[in-house]
Amino acid sequence: MPLDIPGLPPLAAFDVGGEIYVTSNVCTHNVALLSDGFFEGDTIECPLHGGCFNVRTGEATQFPCEVPLQTFPVIVEGDDLYTEIKDR
Amino acid sequence: MGGRARSVDAGRLFYSIHMARHLITLEASGQSFPCDAGDTVLRAALRAGIAFPYECSSGGCGSCQFERVSGDLEELWPQAPGLTPRARERGRQLACQTVPRGDCTLRVRLKPDCQPSLRPTRRRATLVSRTRLTADMAEFSFRAGEPADFLPGQYALLDLPGVAGARAYSMSNLPNDEGLWQFVIKQIGAGRGGMALFEFLQPGDTIGLDAPYGMAHLRLGNDRDIVCVGGGSGISPLLSILAAAARAPELASRRLLLFYGGRTPADLCAPALLARDEALARRVECVTAISDPAYAGAWEGQRGFVHQVLQGWLESAGDASGYDYYFCGPPPMTDALQRLLMLEKRVPTAQLHFDRFV
Repeated sequence: MPLDIPGLPPLAAFDVGGEIYVTSNVCTHNVALLSDGFFEGDTIECPLHGGCFNVRTGEATQFPCEVPLQTFPVIVEGDDLYTEIKDR
Repeated sequence: MGGRARSVDAGRLFYSIHMARHLITLEASGQSFPCDAGDTVLRAALRAGIAFPYECSSGGCGSCQFERVSGDLEELWPQAPGLTPRARERGRQLACQTVPRGDCTLRVRLKPDCQPSLRPTRRRATLVSRTRLTADMAEFSFRAGEPADFLPGQYALLDLPGVAGARAYSMSNLPNDEGLWQFVIKQIGAGRGGMALFEFLQPGDTIGLDAPYGMAHLRLGNDRDIVCVGGGSGISPLLSILAAAARAPELASRRLLLFYGGRTPADLCAPALLARDEALARRVECVTAISDPAYAGAWEGQRGFVHQVLQGWLESAGDASGYDYYFCGPPPMTDALQRLLMLEKRVPTAQLHFDRFV
Protein backbone atom coordinates (compact mmCIF):
# COMPACT_ATOMS: atom_id res chain seq x y z
CA MET A 1 0.00 0.00 0.00
CA PRO A 2 1.19 3.56 -0.68
CA LEU A 3 2.32 5.77 2.21
CA ASP A 4 1.98 9.42 1.30
CA ILE A 5 3.46 11.55 4.03
CA PRO A 6 3.86 15.30 3.45
CA GLY A 7 7.49 16.27 3.03
CA LEU A 8 8.67 12.74 2.37
CA PRO A 9 9.19 11.05 -0.99
CA PRO A 10 6.48 8.48 -1.87
CA LEU A 11 6.87 5.29 0.19
CA ALA A 12 5.20 1.90 -0.01
CA ALA A 13 4.60 -0.73 2.67
CA PHE A 14 4.51 -4.44 1.80
CA ASP A 15 3.30 -7.37 3.88
CA VAL A 16 5.53 -10.43 3.37
CA GLY A 17 3.95 -13.22 5.38
CA GLY A 18 3.06 -10.89 8.26
CA GLU A 19 6.36 -9.01 8.19
CA ILE A 20 6.11 -5.37 7.02
CA TYR A 21 8.71 -3.88 4.69
CA VAL A 22 8.93 -0.22 3.63
CA THR A 23 10.51 0.89 0.37
CA SER A 24 10.43 3.85 -1.95
CA ASN A 25 7.18 3.70 -3.95
CA VAL A 26 8.86 4.92 -7.11
CA CYS A 27 10.30 2.51 -9.66
CA THR A 28 14.00 3.27 -10.27
CA HIS A 29 13.59 2.58 -13.97
CA ASN A 30 10.81 4.87 -15.09
CA VAL A 31 9.09 6.53 -12.11
CA ALA A 32 5.88 4.50 -11.98
CA LEU A 33 4.21 4.00 -8.58
CA LEU A 34 4.99 0.47 -7.39
CA SER A 35 1.87 0.34 -5.20
CA ASP A 36 -0.09 0.13 -8.49
CA GLY A 37 1.89 -2.99 -9.46
CA PHE A 38 1.59 -6.70 -8.78
CA PHE A 39 2.84 -8.09 -5.48
CA GLU A 40 3.70 -11.79 -5.14
CA GLY A 41 5.59 -13.31 -2.21
CA ASP A 42 8.36 -10.77 -1.64
CA THR A 43 8.44 -9.45 -5.22
CA ILE A 44 6.82 -6.27 -6.44
CA GLU A 45 6.35 -6.03 -10.20
CA CYS A 46 6.21 -2.51 -11.60
CA PRO A 47 2.92 -1.83 -13.43
CA LEU A 48 4.67 0.01 -16.23
CA HIS A 49 7.38 -2.19 -17.77
CA GLY A 50 7.15 -5.32 -15.64
CA GLY A 51 10.52 -4.92 -13.93
CA CYS A 52 10.73 -6.38 -10.40
CA PHE A 53 12.25 -5.70 -7.00
CA ASN A 54 12.66 -7.79 -3.89
CA VAL A 55 10.91 -5.61 -1.29
CA ARG A 56 12.97 -7.04 1.60
CA THR A 57 16.35 -6.12 0.13
CA GLY A 58 15.45 -3.62 -2.59
CA GLU A 59 17.36 -5.73 -5.11
CA ALA A 60 16.29 -5.29 -8.74
CA THR A 61 15.40 -8.83 -9.83
CA GLN A 62 13.86 -8.43 -13.27
CA PHE A 63 14.78 -6.36 -16.32
CA PRO A 64 14.35 -3.47 -17.11
CA CYS A 65 14.91 -2.56 -13.44
CA GLU A 66 18.63 -2.45 -12.66
CA VAL A 67 19.08 0.16 -9.95
CA PRO A 68 18.08 -1.19 -6.51
CA LEU A 69 15.07 0.22 -4.75
CA GLN A 70 15.65 2.21 -1.58
CA THR A 71 14.48 0.32 1.52
CA PHE A 72 13.86 1.65 5.01
CA PRO A 73 14.11 -0.03 8.41
CA VAL A 74 10.73 -0.74 10.02
CA ILE A 75 9.81 -0.86 13.68
CA VAL A 76 6.32 -2.08 14.54
CA GLU A 77 4.94 -1.00 17.91
CA GLY A 78 1.40 -2.23 18.42
CA ASP A 79 -0.69 -0.78 15.59
CA ASP A 80 1.90 1.84 14.73
CA LEU A 81 4.60 1.51 12.16
CA TYR A 82 7.79 3.54 12.42
CA THR A 83 10.47 3.96 9.83
CA GLU A 84 13.68 5.91 9.73
CA ILE A 85 14.27 8.23 6.79
CA LYS A 86 17.63 9.92 6.54
CA ASP A 87 17.34 13.11 4.57
CA ARG A 88 19.86 13.66 1.85
CA MET B 1 -51.18 -17.35 -36.50
CA GLY B 2 -50.65 -13.87 -35.08
CA GLY B 3 -49.69 -15.38 -31.76
CA ARG B 4 -47.17 -17.64 -33.41
CA ALA B 5 -45.59 -14.74 -35.27
CA ARG B 6 -45.30 -12.76 -32.06
CA SER B 7 -43.61 -15.62 -30.30
CA VAL B 8 -41.08 -15.93 -33.14
CA ASP B 9 -40.35 -12.20 -32.90
CA ALA B 10 -39.99 -12.43 -29.15
CA GLY B 11 -37.66 -15.37 -29.64
CA ARG B 12 -35.54 -13.43 -32.14
CA LEU B 13 -35.46 -10.45 -29.85
CA PHE B 14 -34.36 -12.59 -26.94
CA TYR B 15 -31.78 -14.26 -29.16
CA SER B 16 -30.29 -10.99 -30.38
CA ILE B 17 -30.09 -9.48 -26.88
CA HIS B 18 -28.61 -12.69 -25.57
CA MET B 19 -26.01 -12.78 -28.34
CA ALA B 20 -25.13 -9.11 -28.17
CA ARG B 21 -24.23 -8.99 -24.50
CA HIS B 22 -21.88 -10.93 -22.30
CA LEU B 23 -21.67 -10.86 -18.56
CA ILE B 24 -18.32 -10.06 -16.94
CA THR B 25 -17.92 -11.03 -13.27
CA LEU B 26 -15.17 -9.81 -10.95
CA GLU B 27 -13.95 -12.69 -8.85
CA ALA B 28 -13.18 -10.85 -5.63
CA SER B 29 -16.50 -9.02 -5.20
CA GLY B 30 -18.78 -11.21 -7.31
CA GLN B 31 -19.87 -7.96 -8.98
CA SER B 32 -21.15 -8.43 -12.56
CA PHE B 33 -21.64 -6.05 -15.44
CA PRO B 34 -22.74 -6.39 -19.08
CA CYS B 35 -20.41 -6.06 -22.05
CA ASP B 36 -21.82 -5.40 -25.53
CA ALA B 37 -20.46 -7.65 -28.25
CA GLY B 38 -17.26 -6.10 -29.58
CA ASP B 39 -16.76 -3.82 -26.58
CA THR B 40 -13.56 -4.21 -24.57
CA VAL B 41 -13.48 -5.38 -20.95
CA LEU B 42 -12.17 -1.97 -19.87
CA ARG B 43 -14.76 0.13 -21.65
CA ALA B 44 -17.61 -2.12 -20.46
CA ALA B 45 -16.38 -1.86 -16.86
CA LEU B 46 -16.19 1.95 -17.01
CA ARG B 47 -19.61 2.17 -18.69
CA ALA B 48 -20.91 0.25 -15.66
CA GLY B 49 -19.24 2.74 -13.30
CA ILE B 50 -16.59 0.29 -12.07
CA ALA B 51 -13.21 1.60 -10.86
CA PHE B 52 -11.20 -0.58 -13.24
CA PRO B 53 -7.54 0.53 -13.24
CA TYR B 54 -6.43 2.20 -16.50
CA GLU B 55 -4.58 5.13 -18.00
CA CYS B 56 -4.02 5.15 -21.77
CA SER B 57 -6.80 2.84 -23.07
CA SER B 58 -4.48 2.21 -26.02
CA GLY B 59 -2.43 -0.88 -25.10
CA GLY B 60 0.65 1.11 -24.20
CA CYS B 61 0.83 1.61 -20.45
CA GLY B 62 -0.09 -1.74 -18.86
CA SER B 63 -2.24 -0.20 -16.10
CA CYS B 64 -5.35 -2.25 -16.95
CA GLN B 65 -3.84 -5.74 -16.56
CA PHE B 66 -6.11 -8.47 -15.22
CA GLU B 67 -6.05 -12.24 -14.84
CA ARG B 68 -8.56 -14.44 -16.60
CA VAL B 69 -10.31 -16.84 -14.23
CA SER B 70 -12.73 -18.35 -16.74
CA GLY B 71 -14.41 -17.59 -20.06
CA ASP B 72 -13.43 -17.07 -23.67
CA LEU B 73 -11.59 -13.80 -24.30
CA GLU B 74 -10.19 -12.47 -27.55
CA GLU B 75 -7.04 -10.33 -27.56
CA LEU B 76 -7.27 -7.51 -30.10
CA TRP B 77 -3.55 -6.73 -30.02
CA PRO B 78 -1.57 -9.69 -28.67
CA GLN B 79 1.77 -7.84 -29.07
CA ALA B 80 0.59 -4.72 -27.21
CA PRO B 81 3.67 -3.12 -25.61
CA GLY B 82 1.83 -2.62 -22.31
CA LEU B 83 2.02 -6.35 -21.54
CA THR B 84 5.47 -7.68 -20.60
CA PRO B 85 6.67 -11.26 -21.16
CA ARG B 86 6.46 -11.81 -17.39
CA ALA B 87 2.84 -10.63 -17.33
CA ARG B 88 2.02 -12.87 -20.30
CA GLU B 89 3.66 -15.85 -18.55
CA ARG B 90 1.34 -15.25 -15.63
CA GLY B 91 -1.68 -15.28 -17.91
CA ARG B 92 -2.45 -11.59 -17.58
CA GLN B 93 -4.16 -9.58 -20.31
CA LEU B 94 -4.86 -5.91 -20.99
CA ALA B 95 -8.50 -4.98 -20.41
CA CYS B 96 -8.29 -2.25 -23.06
CA GLN B 97 -7.26 -4.82 -25.70
CA THR B 98 -9.53 -7.72 -24.69
CA VAL B 99 -13.02 -8.47 -25.99
CA PRO B 100 -15.13 -11.20 -24.34
CA ARG B 101 -16.59 -13.88 -26.62
CA GLY B 102 -18.92 -15.10 -23.88
CA ASP B 103 -19.55 -14.69 -20.17
CA CYS B 104 -16.32 -14.54 -18.21
CA THR B 105 -14.82 -14.08 -14.75
CA LEU B 106 -11.70 -12.02 -14.05
CA ARG B 107 -9.37 -11.14 -11.23
CA VAL B 108 -8.31 -7.49 -10.92
CA ARG B 109 -7.50 -5.04 -8.14
CA LEU B 110 -9.83 -2.08 -8.54
CA LYS B 111 -8.41 1.43 -8.10
CA PRO B 112 -10.75 3.98 -6.47
CA ASP B 113 -9.10 6.88 -8.38
CA CYS B 114 -10.34 5.32 -11.62
CA GLN B 115 -14.01 5.41 -10.63
CA PRO B 116 -15.60 7.27 -13.56
CA SER B 117 -17.65 10.27 -12.46
CA LEU B 118 -19.04 10.43 -16.00
CA ARG B 119 -19.56 7.06 -17.63
CA PRO B 120 -18.22 6.78 -21.18
CA THR B 121 -20.68 6.29 -24.04
CA ARG B 122 -20.37 5.80 -27.80
CA ARG B 123 -21.72 8.24 -30.38
CA ARG B 124 -21.20 9.19 -34.01
CA ALA B 125 -19.65 12.59 -34.67
CA THR B 126 -19.26 14.61 -37.86
CA LEU B 127 -16.14 16.54 -38.79
CA VAL B 128 -17.09 20.22 -38.93
CA SER B 129 -13.71 21.83 -39.53
CA ARG B 130 -9.97 21.30 -39.49
CA THR B 131 -7.82 24.34 -38.74
CA ARG B 132 -4.06 24.26 -39.25
CA LEU B 133 -2.10 25.50 -36.22
CA THR B 134 1.47 24.61 -37.18
CA ALA B 135 3.18 22.60 -39.94
CA ASP B 136 2.19 19.34 -38.23
CA MET B 137 -0.67 20.27 -35.87
CA ALA B 138 -4.32 21.08 -36.45
CA GLU B 139 -7.45 21.69 -34.42
CA PHE B 140 -10.29 19.32 -35.34
CA SER B 141 -13.92 20.15 -34.53
CA PHE B 142 -16.53 17.40 -34.49
CA ARG B 143 -20.24 17.70 -33.78
CA ALA B 144 -22.49 15.04 -32.27
CA GLY B 145 -26.23 14.95 -31.63
CA GLU B 146 -26.10 14.99 -27.85
CA PRO B 147 -24.30 17.23 -25.30
CA ALA B 148 -20.52 16.89 -25.00
CA ASP B 149 -20.17 15.71 -21.40
CA PHE B 150 -16.65 15.43 -20.05
CA LEU B 151 -14.34 16.90 -17.45
CA PRO B 152 -11.71 19.37 -18.71
CA GLY B 153 -8.52 17.35 -19.31
CA GLN B 154 -10.22 14.09 -20.28
CA TYR B 155 -9.87 12.27 -23.60
CA ALA B 156 -11.97 10.46 -26.19
CA LEU B 157 -11.33 7.22 -28.09
CA LEU B 158 -11.89 7.79 -31.78
CA ASP B 159 -12.75 5.10 -34.33
CA LEU B 160 -11.38 6.42 -37.60
CA PRO B 161 -12.22 5.10 -41.07
CA GLY B 162 -9.57 2.66 -42.28
CA VAL B 163 -7.80 2.53 -38.91
CA ALA B 164 -7.70 -0.63 -36.80
CA GLY B 165 -8.08 0.05 -33.08
CA ALA B 166 -9.15 3.23 -31.34
CA ARG B 167 -6.96 6.33 -31.01
CA ALA B 168 -6.96 8.44 -27.84
CA TYR B 169 -7.14 12.24 -28.19
CA SER B 170 -7.74 14.81 -25.45
CA MET B 171 -10.43 17.42 -25.86
CA SER B 172 -9.20 21.03 -26.14
CA ASN B 173 -12.57 22.73 -25.60
CA LEU B 174 -14.98 22.91 -22.67
CA PRO B 175 -17.90 20.56 -22.06
CA ASN B 176 -20.97 21.94 -23.83
CA ASP B 177 -24.61 21.28 -24.66
CA GLU B 178 -24.07 21.79 -28.39
CA GLY B 179 -22.24 18.49 -28.84
CA LEU B 180 -18.99 20.14 -29.97
CA TRP B 181 -15.82 18.08 -29.49
CA GLN B 182 -12.51 19.76 -30.33
CA PHE B 183 -9.03 18.26 -30.40
CA VAL B 184 -5.56 19.63 -31.08
CA ILE B 185 -3.81 16.77 -32.88
CA LYS B 186 -0.28 16.36 -34.14
CA GLN B 187 0.48 14.32 -37.24
CA ILE B 188 3.28 11.97 -36.32
CA GLY B 189 5.06 10.45 -39.30
CA ALA B 190 2.83 8.68 -41.80
CA GLY B 191 0.89 6.71 -39.14
CA ARG B 192 -2.54 5.49 -40.14
CA GLY B 193 -4.36 7.53 -37.47
CA GLY B 194 -2.70 10.73 -38.62
CA MET B 195 -3.21 9.93 -42.29
CA ALA B 196 -6.91 9.27 -41.69
CA LEU B 197 -7.37 12.54 -39.80
CA PHE B 198 -5.10 14.81 -41.83
CA GLU B 199 -5.45 13.42 -45.36
CA PHE B 200 -8.60 11.36 -45.85
CA LEU B 201 -11.24 12.72 -43.48
CA GLN B 202 -13.28 15.57 -44.97
CA PRO B 203 -15.82 17.92 -43.36
CA GLY B 204 -19.15 16.08 -43.30
CA ASP B 205 -17.51 12.67 -42.72
CA THR B 206 -18.44 10.80 -39.54
CA ILE B 207 -16.34 8.89 -37.04
CA GLY B 208 -17.03 6.91 -33.86
CA LEU B 209 -16.39 8.88 -30.66
CA ASP B 210 -16.36 7.12 -27.28
CA ALA B 211 -15.89 9.37 -24.25
CA PRO B 212 -15.04 10.52 -21.67
CA TYR B 213 -11.92 8.76 -20.36
CA GLY B 214 -8.93 9.71 -18.22
CA MET B 215 -8.03 10.91 -14.74
CA ALA B 216 -5.93 13.96 -15.64
CA HIS B 217 -8.87 16.32 -15.28
CA LEU B 218 -9.10 19.65 -13.51
CA ARG B 219 -9.52 19.31 -9.74
CA LEU B 220 -11.30 22.11 -7.96
CA GLY B 221 -11.71 22.30 -4.21
CA ASN B 222 -8.23 23.32 -3.06
CA ASP B 223 -6.49 26.69 -2.92
CA ARG B 224 -3.33 25.90 -4.84
CA ASP B 225 -2.14 27.74 -7.95
CA ILE B 226 -2.14 25.72 -11.17
CA VAL B 227 0.92 24.85 -13.24
CA CYS B 228 0.36 23.26 -16.66
CA VAL B 229 3.29 21.81 -18.59
CA GLY B 230 3.18 20.48 -22.12
CA GLY B 231 4.68 20.13 -25.55
CA GLY B 232 3.24 19.55 -29.00
CA SER B 233 -0.38 18.40 -29.01
CA GLY B 234 -0.11 18.07 -25.22
CA ILE B 235 -1.58 21.57 -25.32
CA SER B 236 -4.99 20.06 -26.09
CA PRO B 237 -6.11 18.95 -22.59
CA LEU B 238 -4.19 21.83 -20.99
CA LEU B 239 -6.24 24.35 -22.99
CA SER B 240 -9.43 22.76 -21.69
CA ILE B 241 -8.14 22.70 -18.11
CA LEU B 242 -6.98 26.33 -18.27
CA ALA B 243 -10.21 27.51 -19.94
CA ALA B 244 -12.24 25.89 -17.17
CA ALA B 245 -9.91 27.16 -14.43
CA ALA B 246 -10.01 30.70 -15.83
CA ARG B 247 -13.81 30.64 -15.61
CA ALA B 248 -14.22 28.92 -12.24
CA PRO B 249 -15.33 31.50 -9.62
CA GLU B 250 -13.51 29.57 -6.86
CA LEU B 251 -10.24 29.93 -8.80
CA ALA B 252 -10.63 33.67 -9.47
CA SER B 253 -7.65 34.61 -7.30
CA ARG B 254 -5.47 31.67 -8.34
CA ARG B 255 -2.41 31.96 -10.59
CA LEU B 256 -2.67 29.94 -13.80
CA LEU B 257 0.65 29.12 -15.44
CA LEU B 258 1.46 27.35 -18.69
CA PHE B 259 4.93 26.10 -19.60
CA TYR B 260 4.91 25.11 -23.24
CA GLY B 261 7.79 23.79 -25.30
CA GLY B 262 8.62 22.93 -28.89
CA ARG B 263 11.69 22.41 -31.05
CA THR B 264 11.56 25.81 -32.73
CA PRO B 265 9.32 28.90 -32.45
CA ALA B 266 7.25 27.61 -35.40
CA ASP B 267 6.06 24.69 -33.19
CA LEU B 268 4.67 26.94 -30.46
CA CYS B 269 0.96 27.25 -31.10
CA ALA B 270 0.07 27.99 -27.45
CA PRO B 271 0.32 31.81 -27.44
CA ALA B 272 -2.07 32.13 -30.41
CA LEU B 273 -4.50 29.66 -28.85
CA LEU B 274 -4.50 31.59 -25.58
CA ALA B 275 -4.93 34.93 -27.36
CA ARG B 276 -8.19 33.94 -29.07
CA ASP B 277 -9.98 33.34 -25.73
CA GLU B 278 -10.40 36.49 -23.66
CA ALA B 279 -10.46 34.64 -20.33
CA LEU B 280 -7.30 32.70 -21.16
CA ALA B 281 -5.53 35.77 -22.52
CA ARG B 282 -6.27 37.66 -19.30
CA ARG B 283 -5.51 34.93 -16.76
CA VAL B 284 -2.81 32.60 -18.06
CA GLU B 285 0.89 33.40 -17.62
CA CYS B 286 2.57 31.58 -20.50
CA VAL B 287 6.27 30.63 -20.57
CA THR B 288 7.47 29.24 -23.90
CA ALA B 289 10.70 27.38 -24.58
CA ILE B 290 12.47 25.97 -27.63
CA SER B 291 14.68 22.89 -27.38
CA ASP B 292 16.59 22.95 -30.69
CA PRO B 293 20.05 24.33 -29.78
CA ALA B 294 20.83 24.81 -33.48
CA TYR B 295 17.97 27.25 -33.99
CA ALA B 296 19.66 30.53 -34.88
CA GLY B 297 16.67 32.75 -35.67
CA ALA B 298 15.26 35.45 -33.46
CA TRP B 299 14.00 34.11 -30.13
CA GLU B 300 13.38 35.95 -26.89
CA GLY B 301 11.81 33.11 -24.88
CA GLN B 302 13.47 30.34 -22.87
CA ARG B 303 15.78 27.68 -24.26
CA GLY B 304 15.93 24.02 -23.21
CA PHE B 305 13.43 21.28 -22.57
CA VAL B 306 10.27 22.49 -20.94
CA HIS B 307 10.86 20.45 -17.76
CA GLN B 308 14.24 22.17 -17.37
CA VAL B 309 12.59 25.55 -17.77
CA LEU B 310 10.05 24.60 -15.11
CA GLN B 311 12.87 23.44 -12.84
CA GLY B 312 14.59 26.80 -13.19
CA TRP B 313 11.34 28.64 -12.48
CA LEU B 314 10.67 26.51 -9.38
CA GLU B 315 14.07 27.47 -7.94
CA SER B 316 12.75 30.99 -7.53
CA ALA B 317 9.09 30.15 -6.89
CA GLY B 318 9.43 28.91 -3.35
CA ASP B 319 7.68 25.74 -2.22
CA ALA B 320 6.97 23.44 -5.19
CA SER B 321 4.29 21.70 -3.10
CA GLY B 322 2.14 24.81 -3.27
CA TYR B 323 0.94 24.02 -6.81
CA ASP B 324 -1.26 21.53 -8.62
CA TYR B 325 0.48 20.21 -11.73
CA TYR B 326 -1.15 19.09 -14.96
CA PHE B 327 1.03 17.76 -17.73
CA CYS B 328 0.68 16.20 -21.14
CA GLY B 329 3.38 15.43 -23.66
CA PRO B 330 5.78 12.76 -24.88
CA PRO B 331 6.88 10.08 -22.35
CA PRO B 332 10.42 11.50 -21.86
CA MET B 333 8.81 14.78 -20.75
CA THR B 334 6.30 13.18 -18.36
CA ASP B 335 9.04 10.95 -16.90
CA ALA B 336 11.37 13.91 -16.38
CA LEU B 337 8.58 15.93 -14.75
CA GLN B 338 7.71 13.08 -12.40
CA ARG B 339 11.36 12.70 -11.37
CA LEU B 340 11.64 16.42 -10.77
CA LEU B 341 8.37 16.90 -8.91
CA MET B 342 7.92 13.60 -7.08
CA LEU B 343 11.49 12.73 -6.12
CA GLU B 344 13.38 15.99 -6.07
CA LYS B 345 10.71 18.48 -5.04
CA ARG B 346 8.64 15.99 -3.03
CA VAL B 347 5.34 17.22 -4.34
CA PRO B 348 2.59 14.84 -3.08
CA THR B 349 1.58 12.47 -5.90
CA ALA B 350 -2.06 13.53 -5.45
CA GLN B 351 -1.06 16.95 -6.86
CA LEU B 352 0.34 15.54 -10.13
CA HIS B 353 -2.23 14.96 -12.87
CA PHE B 354 -1.35 13.28 -16.16
CA ASP B 355 -2.27 10.29 -18.30
CA ARG B 356 0.56 8.23 -19.62
CA PHE B 357 0.35 7.80 -23.39
CA VAL B 358 3.16 5.66 -24.72
